[in-house]
Order: sequence, then C-alpha cells, then structure tokens
Amino acid sequence: MYHLALKMLFSDRAKYIMLVSGLTFATLLMTQQAAVFFGILAWTNGNLKNMRAPIWVVDPKVEQANEIKSMRDTDVGRVRSIKGVEWAVPMYWGILQSRLSDGTFKAVQLVGLDSATMIGRPGNMIAGRIEDIRVPNTVVIDDLAVERLSKGRPKPIGIGDVFEINDKEARVAGICKTEKSFFGYPYIFTTYDQALQFAPKTRKMLSFILAHPAKGMTAKQACLEIEKETGLKAYTEEEFGLATIKWFFVNTGIPFSFFTTILMGFIVGVAIAGQTFYSFVLENLKHIGALKAMGASDWLLTRMVALQAFTVGLLGYGIGLGLTIVFGLLVLRKGMPPFSLPWQLPAVTFVIIMFICTFAALLGIAKVRKLEPAIVFRG
Amino acid sequence: MDNQQHKIGSNEYAVQVHGVIKSFGSGDAKTVALKGVDFDARQGELLMIVGPSGCGKTTLLSVIAGTLAFDAGKVNVFGNPLHAMSKSETTLFRGKNIGFIFQQFNLIPTLSCVENVSVPLLINGATRAAAEKKATEVLEVVGLKGRENERPTNLSGGQQQRVAIARSLVHEPRLIICDEPTSALDKDNGAKIMELLREIARAPDRCVIVVSHDNRIYHFADRMTEMEDGKVQRVHETYKPVNFKDQ
Repeated sequence: MYHLALKMLFSDRAKYIMLVSGLTFATLLMTQQAAVFFGILAWTNGNLKNMRAPIWVVDPKVEQANEIKSMRDTDVGRVRSIKGVEWAVPMYWGILQSRLSDGTFKAVQLVGLDSATMIGRPGNMIAGRIEDIRVPNTVVIDDLAVERLSKGRPKPIGIGDVFEINDKEARVAGICKTEKSFFGYPYIFTTYDQALQFAPKTRKMLSFILAHPAKGMTAKQACLEIEKETGLKAYTEEEFGLATIKWFFVNTGIPFSFFTTILMGFIVGVAIAGQTFYSFVLENLKHIGALKAMGASDWLLTRMVALQAFTVGLLGYGIGLGLTIVFGLLVLRKGMPPFSLPWQLPAVTFVIIMFICTFAALLGIAKVRKLEPAIVFRG
Repeated sequence: MDNQQHKIGSNEYAVQVHGVIKSFGSGDAKTVALKGVDFDARQGELLMIVGPSGCGKTTLLSVIAGTLAFDAGKVNVFGNPLHAMSKSETTLFRGKNIGFIFQQFNLIPTLSCVENVSVPLLINGATRAAAEKKATEVLEVVGLKGRENERPTNLSGGQQQRVAIARSLVHEPRLIICDEPTSALDKDNGAKIMELLREIARAPDRCVIVVSHDNRIYHFADRMTEMEDGKVQRVHETYKPVNFKDQ
C-alpha cells in the first residue's frame, strides 16, 4: 500500500510542490539564518582566534574580547611576578584610521605584539616573515587589508608598499591570513612599541596581557592566582570566548533578530506544511473512507499518511539543506556574510522539520482515525 | 413479514439481520434511522433493497457492511456475528469477506485501473506483483483487457463502474455490497452492469446486495426488500434463487 500512498502524494502535483517548497523554505530559512548567526558569533571571537594565548588578562571592567579598557605597562610585570605564570607579554589592540594612496580612509585593527617573543602572531603567513615587523615602521597586513587598502592603486598593495596609519607611514613587510572579526576591519600587525607610536597617545596603552600558566598549573588555576594577586581580570581563552558570546547575547539585538527570523521559518513551515497536508488529507478523505470500508485498518492508514508526510519532509529538508550549503560555499568564497555550519545545526533543523511533519501528519491522522467508513455511502 | 421469521445463524443465509436499531444524534436532534429491522439475504441471490429517500436503505447497507456501528440487534454475515466483533475484527472481516461497489465508483483518480483493483489484495497483505497480476486477470473478466494502465478518469462511466466491480471481486469476497451502482450510468450501461452483478451473484457461497432508487433495474433482482420509515415493509419474491444443493 505504501507505493500507492506515495503515488497519491506525487500525483497531486500542486500540493506536493507546495508541501516540498514550504518545508524547503523553512529548512533554508532556519539553517541559513542560524548559520549566519553562528558565523557572527564566530567573528566575535576573531581576536581570540587570531592572537592565540591560553590566558588573557584585562582590566576588571572588560567583559568581552572586543572592548578595551587600557592598563598600565607595569601590569605586565605584576603578572609575570606571579608564581603560577610561566610567561606574560603585552599586547596592543585598537581600531585606527589608515589613509590610502588616493586619500581615502579605511578603519583597521592594529595589533601590537611583544617584539621579543612575537606571541599572538598570525598563524598563517602568505608572504614575508612576521619577524620583519621589528624593522622600524613596518607592519604585516592580512589578506582583507590587501583588498581594502589597494583602492586607488594600480596593483594590489604588497611587500614594500607604503600607506599611513594615523598619519604615520607604515611599510608592508608581509602578508598573512587571518580569521574575520566582528568589526569586519582588516588586521595590521606590528610590534608593541611601534603600535604605541602609531596609536594616539593616551595615559594607559596596554590592551591585553597574554600569559601562559606555569608547569603543573591549569590555565584556570593561573587565572585565579592572577586575579587574586593583581586585582586584574584573567580569563582562560575558552572563558573569554564564551564571555564574549554571552555579552553579544545580552547586549545586542542580534540574537533576538536572528531568533525572530528562525522562528518565522518554523512558523511558515508549520503553517504551510500543516495547512497544505491537512487539505491534502481532506481532499482524499473520500478515498481514505473507501479504503477503510474495504478493510484498511486505522494503523495501516496512519502509516500511509505518516509516510506521505515524512516523504515531503525529507525531500524539503534535503533540498533546503542543499541550498543552504550552496549559499555557504558562495559566501565563504566571498567572505561575507559570516557563515558557520557546525554538524549540530543541520541535525537540529532535521529534528524541527520532522516535528513539523509529525504535526502535519497528526492533523491528517486525527481526521483519518475519526472517519467513519460509512461516509462512502453518503453520496 | 412471514418470510422474515427465520432462524438466526442458519447456513442457507448469507446475511441475517434481527431487530437492528440505529439512531443518529441525541436529545431533541435524535433521529432513529432503523427501527428494529429484520432482514435476510440468501446465498446465490442478488437482493435489492428499495424504498424512498430517508427510509434507511443506506444505513441498513452500512450496518450489513460492518461500516457503521448500530445501537441494538444482531447481524450475521455468513454466520459471523458482526454485533459481537470488535472494531478491528470488523475491519479485518470486511477486508476479507466483503466487496464494495459505490455510487460514485470511489476509484482513486491518481492510480491506474490495475492499481485501483489491486487495493483489496494489498490491504489483505498480498505482494504488489501478486496483487497486480490478479487485478489484471479480473479486469479481463469484466471486459477491460488492455485498459489496465489507464487512469479511471480516462474511462467512461460504465467502464469506471466495471473497474469498481473488478475491485469488489478481486479478493473473492462472499458478500458484495452495491450502493446505487447504476445511478451515475445511462440505461444501457446500467443494464450491462446489472447483468454482470447478477452473474456474479450466481455462485455458491456468494450474495450481492444492491441498494437502488433506479426502477429500471428492479427486474434484475432475485428478491426485493422494500423499506419505509426505518423498517422492512415487504419482501417481493421476484426470482427463485438457485438451489446449489440440487446442482
């Protein structure tokens, strides 16, 4: 009987296409929007991914990785003096203006690394060497900077080319690849000392202290010791990432906005699939009544209806997920908008789509089970 | 009504109905459709139930077919007491023992003729291949050889009713229930269908019950049960049923 149930479904083309389209749209909307949301969340941790360190020490008022309340340079020494800390280095991070050759300005994220250890250096150099930033007024730029800072140039900016950061000349010594950050500005790496020259002067300039726990200590234990001894706030890398994500959840409308869109996808899926499937069952009620009269049990009819509902569900989910992946591949090539599709996301969407199908099937099944087979004799 | 005074459970009867009451609704809106109906149908006969609209013909047919629960009384179909069966037992019984022919054919328009005809076999657990093979054979019997893969909507009314007859016969049921089988057909097609149904009825251990308004086909009946106001009023012996014991 199952092949007949499927044939009945596929032959009602209008409803079949409507059902598959509705579930495809719901899958696409929920998965794609959630993937973009996860992409944004990943971007909020851009600093942590690009300047890796097991411990991040900040001013106690700092709540997440994209905000700065500068500390004194002497705080690096205070952290280094703690028993549980193997090493600690200063880092500058700030958003500055760079001036291009055609006179236009672009915002950049300037990162000042400890010149001795280069801790926090970019992991993937495309051209040049990171050590060359020790040469006065030199920087390493990322691939996004090549794209952004090449405006007005006859050829893309490269090693040896010059541009201005905060009215000071900077020469490109290398090009690296970085993870995108929430602000979407390119990264410029230089030494900590030179970063302080590029950046506008303020009383305190130290953005972060990157540290490593001493042997036999966990990062968490070292953090607790740093906080106790210095009064500064110390996060493990993981904690800082989670705190950043939490901050965006609590302080921005981004999660709510995405949640609303995802919810709409769910509602659209429920409404279209539920309504269309119910009307499909209603239109076939006379035939279902005939099957019932001919001896088809409620259980057999329930399985037939469920098969129809889950078939359109699987098709809609498959097409919707396929379209999401195509979207992802296209945007990842361009780098915009952010996109992250961990396996849990399609899995959760699958469960939601199956829930929608179960709802739609139950509407139909309830009708079928209540149906008196004697309906077939009523004209 | 003397001929209604039979012994419940007798083997010569295909269907025995005794004192069946069926009402719809409740309170002031309660309507009693069957008011203690006594009725029988014999093996090897085509029995027609006739009467004015609203007299309870279709309700009685639904009760005999086991598609409608009734309030009181007894119904035996080939010795099987429907009144004592659970809902699932009745469903199983219907699937194995009763064939249905409906007023509007009730063929599934998205399925081919052979698929429509194979449905009762599939319900009874036959494989797809076996069901379609048997369905093809039965379609040939009803004169539709070569139309197996057509959709019902491409056939004439008479041909559609033949498909419905094939569907009612394919699982070799003992009781065939027909609800106004000729109402959607012209006179000639109606007569052909009734000839076919009468042939079908001429088999041992089988019975065809037809509910009809169509007085053009009354002469095809072996016996005619006339209903009025929820009761059997008269039974006309218009044809002597075949006595299989003598054959």
